[in-house]
Amino acid sequence: MSLPTDPAPVSLGKDPPDAAPDANTANGPVAAQVQVFPAHFSGQAGEYFRLWLVNLALSVVTLGLYLPWARVRNRQYLYGHTWVDGHNFEYAANPWALLRGYLLVGVFFGAYSAATQLQFSGWEWVAGPVALIFVLAYPWLVRQSLRFLARSTVHRGLSFGFGGSLGGAYMAYGVANVAAGVSFGLALPLAWYAQRDYQVRGLRYGAATGRFRGGPGGLYLIGLTALGLTVGGGLIVGVLSTLGAVLLRSGQTAPFGDEFGDILEQPGVLAGIVATYLGFLVLYMVGWQYVRAATLRYVLNHFELGGVVRARATFSTARLVWIGVSNAAAQLVSLGLLTPWATVRRARYVAAHTQVLSLVDLGTFVAGPAAPAGALGEAATELLDINLGF
Amino acid sequence: MPVPPPAPAAPLTLSGTYFDGRSSQPWPATLETGPGGRATLTLAGPGPSPEPAAPLHWPAAALRAEPALPGLRRVIRLPGGGRFETGDEAGVRALEARTRQNRVLGGVRRLEGSWALTLGATAALGLFVWGFLTFGLPALARSTAAVTPVAVLETFDRESVRLLDTDDFLAPSRLSAARQAQLRREFARVSAWAGGGYRYRLLLRDGEPAHAPFALGANAFALPGGTVVMTDQLVALARSDRELMGVLAHETGHVTRRHGLASVYQGLGLALLGTAVTGDLVGAATFAAAVPSTLLQNGYSRRAETEADERAGAYLLRAYGTTRPLRDILARLEAQDRAGEGGPEPQDSASPGDLLRTHPGTAQRLAHLREIENAAR
Repeated sequence: MSLPTDPAPVSLGKDPPDAAPDANTANGPVAAQVQVFPAHFSGQAGEYFRLWLVNLALSVVTLGLYLPWARVRNRQYLYGHTWVDGHNFEYAANPWALLRGYLLVGVFFGAYSAATQLQFSGWEWVAGPVALIFVLAYPWLVRQSLRFLARSTVHRGLSFGFGGSLGGAYMAYGVANVAAGVSFGLALPLAWYAQRDYQVRGLRYGAATGRFRGGPGGLYLIGLTALGLTVGGGLIVGVLSTLGAVLLRSGQTAPFGDEFGDILEQPGVLAGIVATYLGFLVLYMVGWQYVRAATLRYVLNHFELGGVVRARATFSTARLVWIGVSNAAAQLVSLGLLTPWATVRRARYVAAHTQVLSLVDLGTFVAGPAAPAGALGEAATELLDINLGF
Repeated sequence: MPVPPPAPAAPLTLSGTYFDGRSSQPWPATLETGPGGRATLTLAGPGPSPEPAAPLHWPAAALRAEPALPGLRRVIRLPGGGRFETGDEAGVRALEARTRQNRVLGGVRRLEGSWALTLGATAALGLFVWGFLTFGLPALARSTAAVTPVAVLETFDRESVRLLDTDDFLAPSRLSAARQAQLRREFARVSAWAGGGYRYRLLLRDGEPAHAPFALGANAFALPGGTVVMTDQLVALARSDRELMGVLAHETGHVTRRHGLASVYQGLGLALLGTAVTGDLVGAATFAAAVPSTLLQNGYSRRAETEADERAGAYLLRAYGTTRPLRDILARLEAQDRAGEGGPEPQDSASPGDLLRTHPGTAQRLAHLREIENAAR
């Protein structure tokens, strides 16, 4: 399956308005006047916590009807506190459209789950088509989703856009995913590449179009590193748990009972099993967070817009993995209450180590042709957001 | 609230940054709302061309103030795709008041701004969730169950029986065909009395087959469409068929009051609520998959048991003039259960039927049945 990165990988931000226009930076496209605009995230954990909690409470009290507004407000806060060149981003989605999307999704999901749960006569004729439609329309839905997300993102009064083709979506999210599946994961990094390439190439800011300078090789490197991390870590966990078991057995005075139940009643054994299980859980988390962080870094470092703007990520992948894993642990322990803190912490770190490099003044972009995006696309976004939400 | 008069308000001037929506160039500008309800945007410096740009005019009502967000400048959307950003919070609030915008989200913003209000909202939330789960959801589930067509109930029965038989919970009864037929005949009298248009049938099953995931033991339970399952073990425990008919009348009470379906709906409602709040379909799907087994393992609420007991009491009084048979078998079941807990094979979690669902309540249930009898005298 695809591992979608942050759907708005280009939400770089930055602050000081007095960015010096002197060219002292390498890495630019040409040895011309490259201006560097560091990104900056200004959100506060306490402030965001209040916003998040109030909106969560309102969602619950309204039995979910307020959810679109809650979602929009949360995103507006996160986008709005991301700065580049003294200007913040803006999330401009229409909550009413999102509500329509939710209701549409609710009808489909309700029919599907009622059919599979209650299995009334003819239930296959409800569940089957719904599942089939979802599978067949998946790439189209991804494209609608990317369109909606881009259109809802505004910077300096100018909206982003997405111009990826439908054929491209079926290649990147259909063919590539199937290939990754039938090749036992060998083509998975290729699918990642195809998806990132599709996302970046389709991106528009005004009339400027995105370009992905990376190749499949970079993503294969990420995939192999993740595999190495997981296998190596798995070996360590395995060896440790075996060692533990052996030690425990040698400390046993009486011979082992014959029944499995007896073994399980030894407190040490149960603790060992739990520890091993936790070890593998952490390993899985680390592997997945690594792929996420390394891909974000890779995409940022190979992103180009209109031939004049590039991004640069200087964050450490290992540190971002640590932030991801410790965030997840904190959220788990706090029963989700630390979610806003975790979000702010990650956004702040990523923004602080991301820069925008530009050959031109960022005020010189002009609008391109506006692509229409109907309510169905917005509904699709939510459908996908729910299913892909990590 | 009194309707404010068409305010001959003083002119309101905001200074900030203007974007025309066609380029990423910011322009310092002022936005002025005059007494006539007319808004005027004027660039503070020179525009794109050397000569000063002409001011833009709109009716003030066409301006759309974006809801306030903590720590951020305010944004006003202008007709034609332009936008105006300003740090003048008080000014934008005055504009909002004048054009009556964002009244709800402005309130949300006030909630978000204060720790006390946030924590108050959280407490209210907790109270609401508790109240909804305790009263709202069960009531909703009951009324939905009451209007569900019988055809749906019968499908549910068919699938549940298939599941119970294929998953080895139950095996074919070991009672003789003659005994089974006799019990069915007696049950026909109970079900004819219970009525309600359900297709009643009595299934006799062995509740302790060799490979069962857990033993049902002496038990009886009703499925929503009128199928009542009774185990051989319960038949063996009874000292008379009157006792068994008391139990079966109790089960028809669950059917006619639609308790089974209500508890399924309650589980689905929980799953739906979980989805709505977390936006997570996978978690909800996992939860929904657990609904049938939840139904089996948690049985009914004490309130449902009381209702079913009242139906059983009514039948027993009418048929035998006493509620004693049901009281006897309930007491014997509890005695057996208690003995079982101390014994070598604990069977507490192994009893998924509903007869003794509310363990501590058996004494009250017996007392209530006695009351019913006394009231009838």
